[in-house]
Amino acid sequence: MPQFFSNKRLILLLVGMIFLVALISFSLRDRNHASLPEQLIKDVVGFGQSMFSKPTQYITGVFDNVESLLNTYDENKRLKVRLEDYVTLQASVNDLRLENDELRKIVDKEENLRAYNPIQSTVIARNPDQWEEKIIVDKGEIHGVMENMAVMTAQGLIGKVILTTPYTSTVELLSTQNPNYRVSAVIAEGEEVFGLIEGYDEKRKELILKRIDSEYEVKVGQKVTTSGLGGIFPKGILIGEVTEITTDDYGLTKLAYVKPAASFSILDHVIISKRTITNVDGTDGGNTGADLLEGEGDGS
Amino acid sequence: MIRFLVIAISVLLFYLEPIFGLFSPVELNSDFYVLVPRFLIIYLIFVAIYYDRKRAMLYGLFFGLLYDVFFIDIIGLYSFIYPLMCLVASYTVKYIHQHLLVSTILTLLLVAGVELLLFLFYTFIGIKTMTFTYFYQHNLIPTMIANAVFLLMFGWAFKYILLNRFNQKALLLQK
Repeated sequence: MPQFFSNKRLILLLVGMIFLVALISFSLRDRNHASLPEQLIKDVVGFGQSMFSKPTQYITGVFDNVESLLNTYDENKRLKVRLEDYVTLQASVNDLRLENDELRKIVDKEENLRAYNPIQSTVIARNPDQWEEKIIVDKGEIHGVMENMAVMTAQGLIGKVILTTPYTSTVELLSTQNPNYRVSAVIAEGEEVFGLIEGYDEKRKELILKRIDSEYEVKVGQKVTTSGLGGIFPKGILIGEVTEITTDDYGLTKLAYVKPAASFSILDHVIISKRTITNVDGTDGGNTGADLLEGEGDGS
Repeated sequence: MIRFLVIAISVLLFYLEPIFGLFSPVELNSDFYVLVPRFLIIYLIFVAIYYDRKRAMLYGLFFGLLYDVFFIDIIGLYSFIYPLMCLVASYTVKYIHQHLLVSTILTLLLVAGVELLLFLFYTFIGIKTMTFTYFYQHNLIPTMIANAVFLLMFGWAFKYILLNRFNQKALLLQK
């Protein structure tokens, strides 16, 4: 094809390539911040996307309902067994809650790491090429969503908000390969054992809980929750269950594999948790503390 | 009427892709298989083959840019790959017969090309570390199967619509 590589085309091709590389490196450098045109495109596309995804979710919801109708008899049998336990559990929870409130009043401590305002939101799209573990939800800045907030389903923690626009936000799931993704976690059965969720084992489909002090005993089957000490996430969101304990590469601390409580594969409704106590800047477990030095935040 | 159908289908497919993406990854025998819907590029390649190369590339650039900004936040990835694939398709078709079966196979090969390019790109920038055999078994093969099913179901309809539009335009030019 002699005409194909004529001078004009060659120059055009070269300029195009340079422009392309520049654009890619520009957008790779600044990944946590959407510029104004980007926000505009995201909001417009997001609006169209929710037009399409809401009817779809309605239809899949109908199918789910039919399926659960078919399982009603079995489920009912199992639930009846649990119901009696539930009543006693409910009574003791109420009792404990009252006691907790009273004790808090006595010591004059109103703030609580556990408290958060849930923002209910619907998943409108999942990154279709699935190279990165991201979903897009239909609540944004004007609903009070901010970067780094914890995102969960009824089963447990699934990820955190990495990017917000006025009407949509992007959530990076826990199953990401991003090395800067940390969540401070605690195993609170008996004594509290702290660690950091760092990384995800693609083959085992399990999270890796690192930096556990080797003095503490960790057992298979113990529940892992968020510790609230990372500065962003509220305390007490279930992450998963320990399945295996080994030592880390250097033999100094322990390392545990955690099977996530929430499933990452089919997500439709998620809860974004807005912590009521002051947030620290930075990411969970990676704060700089700069805004604490500037004095107290607004408490929201 | 048929004039707007060409763009309307691409908008529809653009919005349908992430909805089908919600059903993936599929768990089979405790192994996860990733099915990536590539409906839009399949359609655009058909546009390039049966209707108009320039228009296909323009659509590719536009939807590629939307895709980049909305989903992956790396601008310039899909907005480069989509027009490139349309270009390759239209140049290849000059040398082969425009039969539906031939263009189906060509389209599938190009979709595999898209997946391979993305694999190379993501390995290069280090967002995802995945061996080629794992990618081949868990991403490429299931994706190709899913897209082949889509193509077999709708390929003839795309061809029918686009050829109709092509003839209509040719008729207008004659007048």
